[in-house]
Amino acid sequence: MCVGMKRGGVLTLSPDTLMFERELSKENDLMREVAFSLMKFSPMVALCDEETIVIDVTASLRLFGGVVRLCHQMRDIVDAIGVTARLSTAPTGQGAWLLAKSAHSAHRGKRRVLKMASLERKLGTLPFQAAPEVRAFTDWFTGLGCKTLNDIRRLPRAGLKKRCGVELLDSLDRAYGLAPELYEWLAVPPAFSARIELPDRIEHAEAMLFSARRLIVQLCGWLSTQQLALTHATLTLEHERGRDAIDPTIIQIALAEPTWHEEHLLRLFKERLGRTELVAAVIAMRLTAAKIQPAEPPTDTLFPEPGGSPEDHNRLLELLVARLGPENVLRAAPSSDYRPEQANRWISVTDTTHPQKLDAVPSDLPRPAWLLETPLQLMMKSHRPFYGSSLKLVSPAERIEAGWFDGGLTSRDYFVAQASDQSCYWIYRERPGSADAEDPRWFLHGLFG
Amino acid sequence: MSTLLKNVEDIHPALWRGSQLARSQGQTVDTGYAVLSAELPGGGWPLGTLIELLVQQPGVGEVRLLRPALAAVSKRPIAFVQPPHIPNSLAFAYLGVPLDKLLQVRASKLADALWSAEQILKTGSCGALVFWQQYARTESLRRLHMAAQSSETLFLMVRPLASAADSSPATLRLCVRPAGDGIAVDVIKRKGPIRAERLSVTLQPSPVLMSPHARVRRHTPTPVVAGSVPSTLVA
Repeated sequence: MCVGMKRGGVLTLSPDTLMFERELSKENDLMREVAFSLMKFSPMVALCDEETIVIDVTASLRLFGGVVRLCHQMRDIVDAIGVTARLSTAPTGQGAWLLAKSAHSAHRGKRRVLKMASLERKLGTLPFQAAPEVRAFTDWFTGLGCKTLNDIRRLPRAGLKKRCGVELLDSLDRAYGLAPELYEWLAVPPAFSARIELPDRIEHAEAMLFSARRLIVQLCGWLSTQQLALTHATLTLEHERGRDAIDPTIIQIALAEPTWHEEHLLRLFKERLGRTELVAAVIAMRLTAAKIQPAEPPTDTLFPEPGGSPEDHNRLLELLVARLGPENVLRAAPSSDYRPEQANRWISVTDTTHPQKLDAVPSDLPRPAWLLETPLQLMMKSHRPFYGSSLKLVSPAERIEAGWFDGGLTSRDYFVAQASDQSCYWIYRERPGSADAEDPRWFLHGLFG
Repeated sequence: MSTLLKNVEDIHPALWRGSQLARSQGQTVDTGYAVLSAELPGGGWPLGTLIELLVQQPGVGEVRLLRPALAAVSKRPIAFVQPPHIPNSLAFAYLGVPLDKLLQVRASKLADALWSAEQILKTGSCGALVFWQQYARTESLRRLHMAAQSSETLFLMVRPLASAADSSPATLRLCVRPAGDGIAVDVIKRKGPIRAERLSVTLQPSPVLMSPHARVRRHTPTPVVAGSVPSTLVA
């Protein structure tokens, strides 16, 4: 099969061929997706005829480390979107356009031209059909014996202008850098909200990562062209409509440190999607940048600190939160309370409430390094608390009696106890109420690490 | 030839005689206990390598053993991954570890815990990582050891005493057992000669407020320096 065959011909040759109607609007959307993703490299991106995107990267070459590296990075972005592309570089936009469109195998891998002279040499050898303005006169030029663009340029300009119109000469002049080029650069939308339909019904959240990456590269392109950083994003997963419509699953992604880096966002999405349980198969997803703020340029210190910057640490915390959940990544936020359980408070790192001002910790009262989740009632052996071995009290009692104000009344006498292997425990005796005169009950509450 | 043999350890910093302690390859943090520091290559806990503390159960004194080192690296955050019980922040404040640097990571699954530890090591933004793990396979230990080498983080794994018999890629392995007024440390593995006798380390501050002679010690005693006159005698 080859390009240009009729439907009937294809079906005769291979009856199993899948046929798709061409949808121009979808093609246009895809082109815009690619264009937005490539805005990472330069804000000057224009959509041109015949599925071509022209980017002015003159000002970005040094930032991205030269033409070759830039091309490799662009190739990665295009791969992430999931399309194939031919990349070419030239001093003029029209010249690059012509090089990219020339499908000749002889020109493969030689589409990177940096100097005007070499561009002229290169363009001269291209078949003249490459330029769209020339195609209307193909028969006439063939009749004249022209094969390449050089042959056409050798023809007298006045005659060409008279017979073929101004556009042909203008187009060639632009390619050779003789006339100024004007492009209609793509305007950046004020808000970002991109949606893609998934290739199939997807039932595992992790399988959506490829499509998520497609959205993320667009988002990163959009962010970097406006020099913005993302602080909050929403990922909406649209479910297949069964008998009833199912509300889309919404994944909120809040970032402690504003970012515009693709790798970090991708890792966060990976962990979040890995943790998400889907209620039904997903058919489409939408990514919305909910909150943005101006990006701050990275500060480069002369001598980088060994531990990395605070931003690195914040990124680490985000990553941990994304995988383990905010309730499992905790920071200490002790409160002023006599009761050890209340005083030892740990809150999520995502909780941004300001820490309570803590009074000075008493220095002469021992506190164990480990507190048990729930105090463990100890057995009694010969009127002594027993935990592994008989416990010996090695400190005077410390009475903690508080909590009458919030209903959690505790009334305990705390002791430090030593077991026979010399390890120390923090135990307490519950003070019996006056009504019941039971034996005192002993509990293990902490371990001195 | 004789001079070469006399100073064989001068050929390369990584060489040492079987009878002497290795010189440290990287940075070390002082343990704060002179008895212990003298027995460790480089005179302290090595940074950027896997160190194993083998304990019978949590609470034998491992936190107080680490206290001076944690306080020394507390300019950067200190991460506790899968602690056995709830860490008491007041106690850590009392021990001199700043509270705003503490980070506690709880993981329900072993894979999550190993992943968290590896991410923390790879980022290298934490000054210390203490990781409690009951069951860890040699492959995962090796992986963590490799991740630790790329950072300058004090990386300690607290493992049960029973795993002393298993092989491990750690460069330093210590057995910690409670003992009177402190702990007894067995050096299982180090870059240096085998140490057969047990090392007894007196930990500070001691939670014991009542002396065997029935005197109440309300204030933390001044650390006793070898050769000095005990403070009670001076008074």
